[in-house]
Amino acid sequence: MKRTTKIFVSALLVAALCFIPTGCGGSGADEGISTFRLGSSTAFDTLNPLSSYMQVTYEFFLLVYDPLVRYDENYDPVPCLAEDWSVSEDELQWTFNLAEGVTWHDGEPFTSADVKFTYELMMDTGLGYMYSFYLDGITDIQCPDADTVVITTETPKANMLMNTTPILPEHLIAAIPEENLEVWENESPVGTGPYKFDSKGDNFVKIVKNEGYFGKLPTMDEFIFVDYENVDAMAQSLMLGEIDGATNMNPAQLSQLQNDKNIEVISGQELGFMQVGINCWTDPASGGNPILLDRTIRQAMDYGINKQKIVDMAYSGQGTAGTTLINPGDFFHYEPAANELRTYDPDTAKALLDAAGYIDKNGDGFREAKDGSPMEFEFITIADNVEEVKSGQMIASDCAAIGIKIKSTTMDSGALYDRIIEGNYDMFIWGWGADVDPTSILGILTTDQIGGNNEPFFSNARYDELYIAQQAEMDETARQQMIFEMQKIVYDESPYIILTYSNNIQAIRSDRWEGFRQIPEGGLYFFNLTDLNYRDIKPAE
Amino acid sequence: MHKGDMVKKLLYALITILAVLVFNYILFRVLPGNPLAMMMRNPRATEEVIEGIRRFYGLDQEWYVQFFTYFRNLFKGDLGISFVFKAPVSQVIAARILPTLLLVGIAELIAIAVGIGIGIIAAWKRGSKLDVGTLGFSLVTYSVPTFWLGMIMLVIFCVGLRLFPTSGMFTPGKSFATTAAMLHDLLRHAVLPILTMSLVLIGEYALTMRNTLIDVLSEDYIVTARAKGFRERYVLFKHALPNGLLPMITIVAINIGFVVAGAIQIETIFSWPGLGRLMYEALNARDYPLLQGIFLLVTVSVVLANLLADITYSYIDPRVKN
Repeated sequence: MKRTTKIFVSALLVAALCFIPTGCGGSGADEGISTFRLGSSTAFDTLNPLSSYMQVTYEFFLLVYDPLVRYDENYDPVPCLAEDWSVSEDELQWTFNLAEGVTWHDGEPFTSADVKFTYELMMDTGLGYMYSFYLDGITDIQCPDADTVVITTETPKANMLMNTTPILPEHLIAAIPEENLEVWENESPVGTGPYKFDSKGDNFVKIVKNEGYFGKLPTMDEFIFVDYENVDAMAQSLMLGEIDGATNMNPAQLSQLQNDKNIEVISGQELGFMQVGINCWTDPASGGNPILLDRTIRQAMDYGINKQKIVDMAYSGQGTAGTTLINPGDFFHYEPAANELRTYDPDTAKALLDAAGYIDKNGDGFREAKDGSPMEFEFITIADNVEEVKSGQMIASDCAAIGIKIKSTTMDSGALYDRIIEGNYDMFIWGWGADVDPTSILGILTTDQIGGNNEPFFSNARYDELYIAQQAEMDETARQQMIFEMQKIVYDESPYIILTYSNNIQAIRSDRWEGFRQIPEGGLYFFNLTDLNYRDIKPAE
Repeated sequence: MHKGDMVKKLLYALITILAVLVFNYILFRVLPGNPLAMMMRNPRATEEVIEGIRRFYGLDQEWYVQFFTYFRNLFKGDLGISFVFKAPVSQVIAARILPTLLLVGIAELIAIAVGIGIGIIAAWKRGSKLDVGTLGFSLVTYSVPTFWLGMIMLVIFCVGLRLFPTSGMFTPGKSFATTAAMLHDLLRHAVLPILTMSLVLIGEYALTMRNTLIDVLSEDYIVTARAKGFRERYVLFKHALPNGLLPMITIVAINIGFVVAGAIQIETIFSWPGLGRLMYEALNARDYPLLQGIFLLVTVSVVLANLLADITYSYIDPRVKN
């Protein structure tokens, strides 16, 4: 009995210890240091800018490294490492005058050699996912002196000032052999940025203000990215004050957070969309149903799918029904004319299919092609994404209503990716994130990208031609016209049915912080491709 | 037990582990999904770079070469490089072993102790209100979905009572002045996940213990013992329990073996950096080296635990001893 009493008492003591409150894990200004904790459900993969793919890591790079030029709140270029710039008469040569007195976080001086090194490294190896992409078309880089970089391009480069490629330190990376670059861990990232890397742990990465920054200093002393495996727990954490901000939440949390007076929550439009991808591969090796090669069917499905209902039901109203490749509100967005816009109209869908000869001959409720083969398509969604699965179910019933039979399958993203690369699928749902420069999202459907990003195996010569041309068009209006034509081609051919433009639900403790805003208007607090909020957020008075 | 028997058991254990490793190796590669494609989502990477990556991970070799390379390296202690984290697998796993042992290990110990205790009491006082109460409790916790229980605990203790932090192992970004401060922070974060996990595991032990003991208590020799005039407590501890605990050893052994497999649901809710969650991420990314490393760990652990149970059995069960 005595022994059990002892165990019992010691257990009680241990339990009691846990209840002693520590300095509450909250933030705000304690001991004069302002710390902002941002919770996110997307984790860090690696701190190496050459091999990372995660959204939150790109935000980290944006703060720890600098590009030549940054974005302001209208996505216009503002000076960063490049103080000013000029372009030659023939528009083929750019001269960037670099800011002086810039040092790397380890104290070494920043020079033009770092710019040349970074760009050439990415162009030679193709590493640095989005970043190397921005450098397309550059043929030569010269450094006449330590503060000047002269870049020559093959044709005029329209997106030269939309290039947010982080400049990396030559003195630390040049020594790494090329084959090790992808797996280089970059344990202590050294950049020139407004924040310095401090430490990282299992579920966080911490950066601190760079007191020696050459530009405007950020207002927050410390910034911590906290990784949450579970979005519900993250929302609770925000309401408890354990973190100061949260991103990438589900619509379920939106209403919960809206009721909290201490929290400012937004559902901002994110650049990118969710699409139904349809197999348009004309090669006999294609594993897709050849009936789908008739674009009338793809257009009919566009008419038949109730996109607004999908937004309302699967995304709890957080999103916008989709039309063309580029997000509405963007300068390059093409809004289909009234006579070509396909709204939700099952009658028109049925009429189109009837007129094209797809009729239900055997009375089973589903149409057949002229040769008798049934209009039955396999539709794949990614199993662990609830919204996508739900969308898939709604699309299946919408298609059944216009006489098309859909067989739904779910699998994980790895398996789906395999099927897509092989061209062995009919339809699927997935999404793309876009950029300020439309080139990246337009590039997906180029013939070059077949076997890569071009999931539907779409190929259109005029589209490819315009893709090259718009990259070299320095006149914005002329470029816009080209991009309009490209979107129209895609809208007509419909290899993608754009379902929705996604929203990202984000929130900040407005009782503790002020100075943040949505960038651009109706956009996001975080992951908005600018560092403006990080510069301006400060403790609330 | 003879030394020869011991050696034989050890040999069988090793063969089992090897067989499982080979099976896992094949299983992962049969899965659809190409890890190289997922690693290199960058469509712009030049051919040289992709080839370089392939060579670096040994994926350019013939399948049998890769197979032999894997096992050769394994015997040297090299588990390969993780595709996702781009770091040595042993390093990635090592970082998560301690948190896993802390969470699942302690939860198992608590569950075993409390579960068996509850089971004994329930069987002993069979039919009484105590029995009904504990039986009900065990059934409920056994059937409750782990994820749901976790969320409820979180809402009650973190949000409602504000007693514990919601997630992680430590307060993120905090630096600790003393070891005591660090341990305190760890303790505050660990209580809820461990408690939740214990609740989930208790049911199994309580129910099994109760059923086993009820069976034992209905045996003839128990009747004899009581007839001889021994006190109830003596009958229970000296006659019933030793027989009742035997089957429990097997269950405990297997579960202890699986401790290193982590607890993916608990780890997800509480953002606890354990091996369960790691396994899931590795699977999603088709990270073969990491998957193989984790499965190796779990296999060895389970086989070893079973071996120990086997040996223990032969020592404490007189029927097996001779």
